[in-house]
Amino acid sequence: MTSVSQANETELVTRAQGGDRNAFSELVRSHAQGVLHVIYRMCGDMSVAEDAAQETFIQAWLQLRSYRPGSSLRNWLYRIAVNTAVDMLRKEKRILPGAVEDLRLTDPQPGPEAMAANSERAETVQEAVLALPDASRAVLVLREYQGLSYHEIAEALDIPVGTVMSRLNYARKLLREKLEVQLFLFAEAENV
Amino acid sequence: MSDHILELLGAYLDGELHGGQLRKVEAHLEECQNCKEEVQSLQTLSAALRSAPVPNFLAPERLAGNVVLRLPRTPAKPMSHRVLEIGWWVAPVGLILTWIFLSTTLWVSNFVTTANELGLLSNVAAELVSGSSMEAYWSGTLGQFGLLAGDSLQWAEATEAFTRTTLPQITWQVSIALLYLSWMAIWWARHTRQEPNGLR
Repeated sequence: MTSVSQANETELVTRAQGGDRNAFSELVRSHAQGVLHVIYRMCGDMSVAEDAAQETFIQAWLQLRSYRPGSSLRNWLYRIAVNTAVDMLRKEKRILPGAVEDLRLTDPQPGPEAMAANSERAETVQEAVLALPDASRAVLVLREYQGLSYHEIAEALDIPVGTVMSRLNYARKLLREKLEVQLFLFAEAENV
Repeated sequence: MSDHILELLGAYLDGELHGGQLRKVEAHLEECQNCKEEVQSLQTLSAALRSAPVPNFLAPERLAGNVVLRLPRTPAKPMSHRVLEIGWWVAPVGLILTWIFLSTTLWVSNFVTTANELGLLSNVAAELVSGSSMEAYWSGTLGQFGLLAGDSLQWAEATEAFTRTTLPQITWQVSIALLYLSWMAIWWARHTRQEPNGLR
C-alpha cells in the first residue's frame, strides 16, 4: 500500500476537490488495499470486491467536495465502501461461493492436505461472516480485519459508539454459535 | 456470571475499556472462571477470523488507473457544506432575534395602548394605536343582537380578548422556544454521537 503523510493527504484532497485527477489517483493508490479488503470481507468475492472498490472510489470522487478535511479520509472511504458492498450484494442477491477458489490461490500452506483443511476452515468462517446481518458484519469487518477502534467505526458508519459495541457483541455471539466446532478445532490446532 | 460483565468482555479484549470499568472487569476476571473462558473463546474467534487469507487483488496502481478512466471530468457539484454550516449556526441566532423583536414590539404595543387608555398620548398617537384596541368584536356584535347579555357577554368578551391577544402571544413564544430546544437537542445529539456510551 502506498502511504502518504497526513499533510500530504490533506493537500491531495484539496487538489482533488479542485478537480485534479492525478491527486485523486494518488489517494486511490493509498487507500486501495484497505477499501478492497473491507469490501471483500463484506461480500466474499474477489471480482465483486474489485468492481465495488472501483465504484467506491468513483462515488468518493463525486462526493469529494462534501468530505470535511478535518475528519479521517480512510474512515470516510470505508463508509462508502461498506454501503457500496451492501448495495452490490443486494443487486447480486447472492452470497458468492467463489471466495473459496480465491482463497486457495494465496494459501501459504505448502501441502495439499493442509491447503484443503485451511481452505475448508476459511470457507466455513467466511460463510458464517457473510451470513451475519449487514449492519453487524460491517462493524465486525472494520474491527476484526481493519483494526479500527470503536470511535473510528462509529465515525465511519455514523453510528453511536454504544451501537458499535452492541453490534459487535451480537456478531461475535452469532459467530461463536455457528463456528463452535471449528473454533474448538482451531484452538486445538493453535495449541499444538 | 453477570450479563453486564459479559457485555463488556468484547470491549475489554478490544482495549476499549478504561478507568473504573476496566478495573471492574479485571477484578471480575480474577475470580470468575466462566468469564475467563469466555474471554479465551472470544480470543480464539478473533484469531480464527484474522487467519482467513485474502486473495491477490488488482495492484493499487492498476485499480487507480481503472478508476481514473471512469471518472467524470470534475467532481460533481456538492451541496455546499459551508452554506449548510453557516445556516445551522444562523438558525438559533435568528430564533433569538425573532423572539427579541416580537417581545419588544409587544412591549411597546402594550405600553402605547396603556398610555393611550390613560390619555397620555396626543390625538395623532392615539390614532396610530387605535388598531391595537382590545375591543371584542364578535361578542359585542352578539351582545347588540341580544344573543348575549350579562355574565355571558362578559365571559364571551374575556374569551375573545384572550384568543385574540394572549393566545397568539403564548403560541409564538412556545413555538420559538420549541424550535430553539429542538435545535439544542439536535446539536447535543450530534456532539454526543461520537462519545463513548458506557465504556468510560
